[in-house]
Amino acid sequence: MVFLPDESRSLPPPPLLNKGTVWLGFAGWIQFLSPPAAGVHRQILFATVGCFVGYHLVKRAEYKHAKVDRELFEYIRHHPVDFQPSTG
Amino acid sequence: MAAGLRAVRRWGLVVAPPSLAFSRSASVVSTANNAQPNWLGVGLAFGTSAALWALLIKQHNEDVMEYERRKARAQCRQCS
Repeated sequence: MVFLPDESRSLPPPPLLNKGTVWLGFAGWIQFLSPPAAGVHRQILFATVGCFVGYHLVKRAEYKHAKVDRELFEYIRHHPVDFQPSTG
Repeated sequence: MAAGLRAVRRWGLVVAPPSLAFSRSASVVSTANNAQPNWLGVGLAFGTSAALWALLIKQHNEDVMEYERRKARAQCRQCS
């Protein structure tokens, strides 16, 4: 199973600062605050890893949501009878 | 019954089992010396972070360019 299919590149890419990036970067950073795990280099490294993983996860999530939306709108387009506004 | 067992253990006739906490042999572990930095580790951490940031920013810029390219191609196909 491909992580990011080619058609996901037709979607607008998420900004570098998005909820996944910020949250996972923060999670990576906060693990290395108190001794004995402390260390600025570790905080920077794992915040970076969190941002990296978060960015790609958000890209995949946006692709999945867009795919579901596309299938939904295609279904609505093919079944107009079922989606008429109710009269009366 | 528990009181009786406690009394028997105090007399040294019933031994309590050793604690289940993990303990590592002193022959394989060494205490970390935080006064002298592990410069190799620090350098690797900073280097990896810089590489990851470069990779991330490059990937993002490529994504933006690819999206703009496909958008322009889709619009041109409509107008042709």
